[in-house]
Amino acid sequence: MLVWQILIDGFAISALYALGATGFTLIFGVSGVLNLSHGAIMVASAVAAWAIAGSLHAGAYASALGGMAVGVVLAFATYFIAVRPIQRSRRIAEAEKEIFILTTTLLWGIILQEAVAYFFTSNAKTVLPIVEGVVRVLGVRTPSNEFFTALICWVAIGLLWLLVNKTRHGKEVLAASMNPRGVTLLGIELSRIHIAVWLVYGVLASLAGVLLGMFLGVSSYSVGPLTASAFSIVVLGGLGSVSGSLVAAYVVGYLETLTAYLISPAYRTIPALLLLVVVMYLRPQGLFGRR
Amino acid sequence: MSKELPGLFTVSALACAALFAAPQASAAGAPIKIGVIAEAQAVAGSSIGPAAQLAADEINAKGGIDGRKVEIVVYDDHSSAAEAVRAFQRAVTEDKVNAVIASYVSEVVLALEPWAARLKTVMITPGAASDVITQNIAKDYERNKYTFHGYLTSSALAGLVCDAAKDLLVGPYKMKSAVIVSEDAAWTTPLDAAYEKCLPAVGLKVLDHIRFSPDTTDFTPIFSKVEGLKPDVMITGISHVGTQPTVQWKSQQVPIPMFGISSQATNSNFWKDTNGATDGVLFNAVSGPGVAVTPRTLPFVEAYQKRYGNQPAYSGYTAYDEVYMIAEAVQRAGSTDSDKLVSAMEKTDHIGTIGHIAFLPKGDPHVHGLKTGAGFITGLMLQWQDGKQLNMWPKPLANGTMKFPAFIKLSAR
Amino acid sequence: MRSVLRVSPLPLATLVVLLLGVSLPFVSSGYVLGLLTVAFYTAVFAMSWDLLFGFAGEVNFGPTFLIGLGAYTAGILDARLAPHVAIWVCVLAGAVMAVVGGVLLALPALRVRGPYFGLVTLVAVLILQNVVVVFASLTGGEIGLSVPDVMSISASTNYWIAFGFMVVSGAVLFGLSRSPIGLVLEASGQDAVQAGALGFNVAKHKLFAFIVSAFFSGLAGALMVFYMGTASVSTFIDISVGVQIIIAAVLGGRRTVIGAAIGAVFLIGMGELLRPLGELATLLVSVMALFVVLFFPDGFLGMLQGRSRGG
Repeated sequence: MLVWQILIDGFAISALYALGATGFTLIFGVSGVLNLSHGAIMVASAVAAWAIAGSLHAGAYASALGGMAVGVVLAFATYFIAVRPIQRSRRIAEAEKEIFILTTTLLWGIILQEAVAYFFTSNAKTVLPIVEGVVRVLGVRTPSNEFFTALICWVAIGLLWLLVNKTRHGKEVLAASMNPRGVTLLGIELSRIHIAVWLVYGVLASLAGVLLGMFLGVSSYSVGPLTASAFSIVVLGGLGSVSGSLVAAYVVGYLETLTAYLISPAYRTIPALLLLVVVMYLRPQGLFGRR
Repeated sequence: MSKELPGLFTVSALACAALFAAPQASAAGAPIKIGVIAEAQAVAGSSIGPAAQLAADEINAKGGIDGRKVEIVVYDDHSSAAEAVRAFQRAVTEDKVNAVIASYVSEVVLALEPWAARLKTVMITPGAASDVITQNIAKDYERNKYTFHGYLTSSALAGLVCDAAKDLLVGPYKMKSAVIVSEDAAWTTPLDAAYEKCLPAVGLKVLDHIRFSPDTTDFTPIFSKVEGLKPDVMITGISHVGTQPTVQWKSQQVPIPMFGISSQATNSNFWKDTNGATDGVLFNAVSGPGVAVTPRTLPFVEAYQKRYGNQPAYSGYTAYDEVYMIAEAVQRAGSTDSDKLVSAMEKTDHIGTIGHIAFLPKGDPHVHGLKTGAGFITGLMLQWQDGKQLNMWPKPLANGTMKFPAFIKLSAR
Repeated sequence: MRSVLRVSPLPLATLVVLLLGVSLPFVSSGYVLGLLTVAFYTAVFAMSWDLLFGFAGEVNFGPTFLIGLGAYTAGILDARLAPHVAIWVCVLAGAVMAVVGGVLLALPALRVRGPYFGLVTLVAVLILQNVVVVFASLTGGEIGLSVPDVMSISASTNYWIAFGFMVVSGAVLFGLSRSPIGLVLEASGQDAVQAGALGFNVAKHKLFAFIVSAFFSGLAGALMVFYMGTASVSTFIDISVGVQIIIAAVLGGRRTVIGAAIGAVFLIGMGELLRPLGELATLLVSVMALFVVLFFPDGFLGMLQGRSRGG
């Protein structure tokens, strides 16, 4: 029984981590940006969904979509306020741009976090679940929501793969991540690509946020840990490698679940941290990263 | 060329102006100033300031204390001990308050306790359950006598929960076993220790004691473990978390009821926050909607609702009472001198909104804590049903009967 | 360009500020002094950060690892061994522990670059946080540690100690940054390969910078514990404290050391000034900081020195 419980619970959590991490690594791979407001966008999307459900009495679907819309808007705002001005600035040396973007996205994340806490209090919120009830699978009583979450995450990831590998627009984005100059030589405007990437990122991050809100609930306190977790997973998997992020997400997700069930819920995050330390010593570029 | 110099001097001048433009110390004497330090963004903390202001306005409307008005100065400490310490220092040295009402968070109160001693200022807390607060006073009375614990200590809370469990669970439902589930925090250490002693005493065997990190977001492993132990009830000690475990309890349809301390469940918005998942949860509180613990309870709630548009959190009730208690102490002492105020506060005998308030005397291991039990503070045991908080205990104040959601399996024999 | 007869403004301004700083306790209230005391310790945190990471060009989320080590070592020693041990012994022990931690952190951190470096520093902070919470019987856990001794109850005395400490630290750190060692650091931060090709032992220099930064961070952390009388995760270790330090340094102007101090005082002062606004205060300070970073990327000091810089 316990084995199946761990397998199922771990799968759902890992799928959520994977979705969040994929968006994070996509932005890094194409834009070269480590978006430290990632957690804030996720939480803001979830809280928006909760707020829409509460004040407009919208159904579960409508609130979820509304929350995602808010998330996409915020992702664009992140790009236009915190990222693009620095990337285009002539007053900052190229080598320094990275840390400036880190600082601005960090500040932007704090602004979003504080805004959420100010308008909605720092209490945890849960999003109206689209799927309710429990199912018995292999003798384990599991909320249907967990299966729904895992399903949606993988559908989203699958769609992303299709987009990047099979569509023309997607291939442009992939090419841009490898060689921005080359792409411009082909007559494709880079700025269009950036907008496309941030749009995709917004959808992924807000979806992850809303699903997290349905599954476990979020609060303004979740912002920091969510960003740190995405960051850790992405670096563990190898920056810029989407498949690396997926694998790493499952490694971390299962490590946490196993620890929580078999050792103690209080020590949940520790093995993953220790793994990171080991990987940093032995293989600093991550599991699938290129040096 | 010489363009930098004016800029430099302007910045320096502005800096000087900011530094020296310290607010003038208010003239000592006329108003009785009470500093209120609270966490404005947290649901529990957001009631403290407004409730205190309500009390002050009521006192002033009746002419104040010996002609002196009560003035409330509010500080937001952002749930940070460091900021609370800064606020306390500012309140005493800068704004010259005569007493401080501070925080419902144990970490914050414990950080402030030594400063109340150093700055010799009376401080009373409207929340916070850690037993260490009063233990520190017992350990060094002369230094720490300025602190008063205006809420129930963890061990007192545990005792009240056990009393309620005896009347509500052991009696009618013949429950025999329990698992303690609490967050790993300072206030739950004495709570759980007291639970482990008093639960068997009322007939509930403690099968296990699970402590989880307050940062936990996924409670599935915890509920899974509890279910494996097959207890009749989960005795809770949660405050930092509330929405998430409750929602997950319902979505996983854990067949074991929750009974005990769940601070967030006391909020009137909790039903909405959990989308109704809190249906059937039983929780301790010092106040409940429509429950007239004393003749002062319901008028306070009405006045608060009228003025601020929402229900006060539990800390609002205590903060309101504490403003009255401080004002009465000032009147008794005939002065705002801290040492005289301490003696006057020790003589507090006040019918507040949460019950009959008096402090334990010097020599008691919980000196300056609240007197509990019949005739003093007993607390209530409420249950969420269909969007309402109904009171189950003590029997004379009950306005409902217990009802559990369908997924709960009760071993009613 | 510059008139030979005119004195360079920077030393003059520094002298003026120093004089103002020393004389403040005679005119200002205890509240302002208390605020500035905390701001000065934060300034040392920020300056240490700027020396190491502003120059080495790596993103570092871990200043609170070093600060936390210093603060908790000092605090635990005092809580356990008082009254048999003097405050100054505890403080020194804290600084030493921070240096040890700094060296341990440097080992993996120096082998990697860019975001991986940031991750190592982040992980260090998270591990320290977990250790403190898990070993609660020793460290006080998440409610914090109370120390029986404080340096002084007098606001003025505390202020002068903090002020003096900040000035001395600032002088040392600033001097280092302008010394040959500092130049090598700056070079290796901009282009490590070229610096190495010129014959400089980049790793050794970075290690030295780590040690100096750790020493001052740990020392400042330990001193602050004996000012506040408590140590807790939220005051010394939490990521949000590290974030404040980074923002202070960037606001003030990276690679200037002194700018970091200005940034720290500004952030803390602003936060306090806006306190009456309650919940909006942090939000507004962050908005202001974002504004400065976007439009004045050279920070405050950069703004002031704007005209005299080349280009």
